[in-house]
Amino acid sequence: MKAVHYLNQFFAGLGGEDKAETPPVRLDGAVGPGRGLAAELEDVDIVATIACGDDYFAEHEDEALATLLAYLEEDPPDVLVAGPAFGSGRYGYACGTLVAAAAERGIASVAAMHPENPGVDAAGKAYVVPTAVNVAGMRDVLPRLARVASALAAGRELGTPDQGGYLPRGFRRNYFAEKTGAERAIDLLLAKLGGETRTEVGGGLDRVEPPAAVPDLSQALVALVTEAGCVPQGNPDRLPAVRAQGWFRYDLTGEETLSAARYESVHGGFDVTLANEDPNRLVPLDTARELEREGRIGRLHEAFYTTTGNGTPVVTSTRFGREIAGELREAGVGAVLLSGT
Amino acid sequence: MAWELATFPSDLLPSQLEVEGADVQVVRPGEPVRVTHVLDAVEPRIRPDGRAAFPTKGKAGEGRTNRLDGVVVLSCLDFAEEERPLHEQESIVDLAGPGAEFTPFGDETCVVLTFRPGEAGNEDAEAAARKTTLRVAEELARPTLDAEPAEVETFELGAGDENLPRVGALIQLSDLGPLYHLYVYGTPAGQAGLPRIVDPAELLDGAVTSGEYHWAAMRNPTIFFQRNTLVRSLYAEHGKRLRFADVVLMRGYEQSADDKQRAAEAAAARAQELGADGVVITTDAGGNSHTDVMLTCRACERAGIRTTVILAEETDPESTRPILTDWVPEADSIVSTGNLEEQVEEWKPERVLGGDTLLDGTAAASAGPIPVRNYLGAANQMGQLTLGARTE
Repeated sequence: MKAVHYLNQFFAGLGGEDKAETPPVRLDGAVGPGRGLAAELEDVDIVATIACGDDYFAEHEDEALATLLAYLEEDPPDVLVAGPAFGSGRYGYACGTLVAAAAERGIASVAAMHPENPGVDAAGKAYVVPTAVNVAGMRDVLPRLARVASALAAGRELGTPDQGGYLPRGFRRNYFAEKTGAERAIDLLLAKLGGETRTEVGGGLDRVEPPAAVPDLSQALVALVTEAGCVPQGNPDRLPAVRAQGWFRYDLTGEETLSAARYESVHGGFDVTLANEDPNRLVPLDTARELEREGRIGRLHEAFYTTTGNGTPVVTSTRFGREIAGELREAGVGAVLLSGT
Repeated sequence: MAWELATFPSDLLPSQLEVEGADVQVVRPGEPVRVTHVLDAVEPRIRPDGRAAFPTKGKAGEGRTNRLDGVVVLSCLDFAEEERPLHEQESIVDLAGPGAEFTPFGDETCVVLTFRPGEAGNEDAEAAARKTTLRVAEELARPTLDAEPAEVETFELGAGDENLPRVGALIQLSDLGPLYHLYVYGTPAGQAGLPRIVDPAELLDGAVTSGEYHWAAMRNPTIFFQRNTLVRSLYAEHGKRLRFADVVLMRGYEQSADDKQRAAEAAAARAQELGADGVVITTDAGGNSHTDVMLTCRACERAGIRTTVILAEETDPESTRPILTDWVPEADSIVSTGNLEEQVEEWKPERVLGGDTLLDGTAAASAGPIPVRNYLGAANQMGQLTLGARTE
C-alpha cells in the first residue's frame, strides 16, 4: 500500500524560516521524519513526500491546496500522512487543512500535532494523532502515527478515539453506558454540588452576529423568508412537516395578504391552529405591503421563501440558508424579514 | 405515608385474554418479533383495596399496589392514513436482534394489543386504545390478589441526615394538544395545574400515564413512570448521598415565550419550596420542550438551586456541528441519552405485530437500518436506560 507524506519546508530539508515562502514541491520517497515513519509503517511505503513553505501556504492557501491536491490525485495513495507539526501553528494549520480537504475527496488522511494546535480544528473529518508540544516528542509520536496510518491504509476500523489513539473529531456517537442516564444525572448533580461541574454534552450554539443595519430601508428590496412551514393550501410541493430536505419559493405577485383560504402551515413542531386562522402571522405579507405602500420599505421581493424548521440538523439548515441567501443576493435583495416559530 | 409495591411472578399471567376492538398476542422473552405502531407500554398493576391502578381521582402512592414482574402490555394502533397526526410517529419495539438493546422489553413477556382504527377519528381511536390498555394492564394483574408476593418494597422518605444535600426531581410532561400529551390523574398535563409538587410514590404508582406520540425514541411511555429509574435511584440514595426532596411535575411545550418564562420560574419556585439544593431536570419529547427545560434550568440556577439536565441529541452523525436545539450557559451539567439520528443495524424478524407496513411504506419484516429515533423510549430523557452519546 502507498502513503504520501506532507511536510513543511523545514522538515522536508528545503531550508528554515528563510525558505518559508517555498511553493509546493513533490519529492520521491520518504524525507526527514518520513524515514523514521516509514520504518514503523506496516505494509505501507511512502512513495512521495509533498511539501510547502508555511508562509506560502498561509498566504496563498487556495493555490497551495490546489497544487498539493493535484499531486495526490495524480496517483491517489491509500493514506495521506501530514506532520507531525507539534505546536507549530502555521505548520499545523497547513497539515489540518490539507488532510481535511483530502478526506473530503475520499482519501484516508491523518495528521499529527499538539492537541491545542489550531490545525486540529482545521482537520475536519480527518484524523489527528496527538503529539507533544515540540519536536522532542518525535520519537514518541512516530510509532503511534504509523499505527493509525497503517490501519487507515488497510481500511481497518480505528474504534473510539481512546482505542484508536486519535483526538475526538467532534462526531457524536451512541454507546451503552454502565449506568442509566438517571444514575449518571444524580452523580453529575452531586459532583456539581460538591464543586466539580462536569457535563456529557458541551453547550454552545451557532452564534449568528447581528448584521450591520440596513442603511436606508426606504430604498431596499425586502424579502420574506420563513421556517414556519407556510405553503399554499394543499401543500402542492409536499413540504414535509419535519426534517425538510429543501425549501420552496412561492410567487407573491399580486398578493396583498396571505389569506387562510389560500395558505396554510404544515409545520409539525407547534400547534398550527391559530397560525392557520391567519397565515400573515407566520409570513407578515399584509403588514409588509402596508410598509411598501407607505414607502417605508423600497419594494417587496416578488416571492417568499419557506421551509419547515423542525428536527433539521444544523448542517442542513446552514445549506438552506446559504442557498436562499445566494438567490436573494442575486436578485438584489438588501434586507430580509425572517420569521421563525 | 408509606407505599408498598408487591411483586408477583409472571407465571400468574392469565393464559386466555380477549380484548374487544383489539387483537391479542403474547410474545415470550427472546422471540424474534418486531412490534410496530406502538402507542404505549404499561406494566400490569392492581390495588388489593379496590381503588384504580391508574387513578383519575384520589391519591396514588398510598397503601399497597401489586405488580406482575417481567410482563409488559404493548398497545399498537395504526392511525387511519388520511388522519395521521402531523408528526411522523413510527414507534418500534424489537424483542430480539440489535434493536432489542435500545428498548427494555426483550427480556419480558409482552402482551401485544393491536387496536383497529375503526370509523371514529384519530383522537377517539387513541382514547379508546389508551383506556382499554390501562384496563387490560389492571386485569392482567388480577390473579395476584389471591397469591403470595415474591417481594414487597416499601417506599417512604424518613428525615435523613441534615448534612446531606437535598435533591429534587423536576419532571417535564409534554402537552402539545391531543395525541401529544401526558396525563396526570387522567387529566392532560396542560390542564393539571402544573408545576406541582407530588410525592415521588405517586409517580411510581400510576399517577402519570402516556398519550404522547411524538418521536418514539423521546417518548416516556407509562411504564417508564411506573418503573422510574430516576425516582427509584433517588429513593435508594436517600440518607446515603442525599436527601430526596420530592418531585415537581412541570409542563413541556408552553406555547408562548411569556408562558415559557412564567412556567420556568414557577417550577423553580416549587423547587425552592422543597428546600432543594439541587435538582435533576428531565425532558419530554423534543424541539421547543428543550427550550422549556433550558429556561427552567436557568430559573433554578438563578434561584441558587444547582441543576443537572437530561437531554437527547438530534444531530447528523456525519456532522460535527452544534447538537442542542437550545442551550443556556447555566446548563453546564447535562446528561446525554443518545443521538436519535444514528441508525440501528438491519434485522429480519420472524414475525411482525402491530402492523406489517411502516409509516414510510417499507415492509416492517424486511426494513433496512432504522434510526434510533423510531425505537420507543430508546433515548428517553428521564434517564431510564443506559444509552448515551459521546464525542468521537
